[in-house]
Amino acid sequence: MVTQPTMIRLSSGFAVPFGETWLTDHQRLNRELEALFLSRETSEYRNPTPSHAPQEETFESRFNLFKWPEACVRELRLFMLGGVADTVMQAVNISAEELGKLTMHNHTWFHITRYAGSFVAHNHPLASWSAVYCVRAGERVPEHPGSGTLRFFDSRTGADSFADPTIPRLKAPYALRPRDLRLEAGQLVVFPSYVFHEVAPFYGRDTRITVATNCWFAEKHN
Amino acid sequence: MSTAASTLQPIFAVPFGSARLAQPDRLNLALSAGLSPLATDAQRDPALPADPLCFRSREELFEWQGEPLSYLKREMLAAMCSIVMRANSVTEEQFNALGLQARARFVIVRPNGALPATSLPLASWCVIYCVAAPDLSPERVDSAAVRLYGHRLGGMFLDAANWAMREPFHYGHHLWRPVPGEMAVFPAWLPHEVALNRGDRDLLLVIARVRFANPGAEVEMMPPW
Repeated sequence: MVTQPTMIRLSSGFAVPFGETWLTDHQRLNRELEALFLSRETSEYRNPTPSHAPQEETFESRFNLFKWPEACVRELRLFMLGGVADTVMQAVNISAEELGKLTMHNHTWFHITRYAGSFVAHNHPLASWSAVYCVRAGERVPEHPGSGTLRFFDSRTGADSFADPTIPRLKAPYALRPRDLRLEAGQLVVFPSYVFHEVAPFYGRDTRITVATNCWFAEKHN
Repeated sequence: MSTAASTLQPIFAVPFGSARLAQPDRLNLALSAGLSPLATDAQRDPALPADPLCFRSREELFEWQGEPLSYLKREMLAAMCSIVMRANSVTEEQFNALGLQARARFVIVRPNGALPATSLPLASWCVIYCVAAPDLSPERVDSAAVRLYGHRLGGMFLDAANWAMREPFHYGHHLWRPVPGEMAVFPAWLPHEVALNRGDRDLLLVIARVRFANPGAEVEMMPPW
């Protein structure tokens, strides 16, 4: 066996970009958003064409949230879409000038989740970037540490079906396992829309409130 | 319409089989009575997170002796082998010569509980037998169902001609509703979960992972699991 030290350079192949940021001083904005969303948890504002079997424990709004005129929604829009744009700028070979020439489209909605609410694993066809903002994390439940977790599934399905003692111990970002995020109020996470994700059952006695957006870019037409 | 002769067939298909025991009621009663009291900390798999609404036993159920577990083990493995053989291009004689290893646990999903998504490493096949299940709920179609994940990323572009493709071509998950006495067989790599149990009774499953070895290649030589 050769004992010469190797000069292996380790890098990440097939990586999935994730962007994360926090809104500082989010308390006022989140208070206003929460009050607005709770007041509109009605059939008028409910998504009339849900893509998955709806649950009474999880309210899903229509996808036009960022067309609402309320100041708190406009403020959130600026923060969330800015976060998506910043992620794109870092992950994509595109200049700010080139990005500025594109039109950024979005579908945006809110979820209010109550006890035993969840959302099935899914991704978002016909979008390129998705983001989730946390308005209210909901009660932490010590006996259910995964309560309300936003869980991203590894896109390399089946890669861990053979596991010797090294594979289960792969370090981040190489590890073959779901990535769990217990969102905190004010936190924003941005990810490619192709990534499958779910919301694990929420066991708090209060509410978990999030805003989600799907974005895609297009050439501007004169 | 075109007048050209054409064919349509699935490629890259995932095998999924199901089976039902002939008269499972007495067996299931005995299994329920024997297993339910064993959902204790001592029998819980310590490698998995504790969950008060989803009990997962140690994966040694098939090593326990006596009836009715021995009978269940025989029936589960026989049904699984029948399905697996049909999915392989080997003769019955060749298949019967294979060595087999199986590990199993019992899982109890309580009301408002769920089994998180998982796949089973170091095995080729998974078989799930349903001992007891809550009543069906017409309003909650996925309650306590086993959801097999469809993770094909080709569905990222959808248009009017591919969003509503029929089985087995459609993008999306597959639901198998556990019914007492019935079992499902599918590849062990396939991620699966038990959706939240909205019923008022426990779901009791026996879940096994199984692997085979060619004659001469002893199963003992396979990686430890």
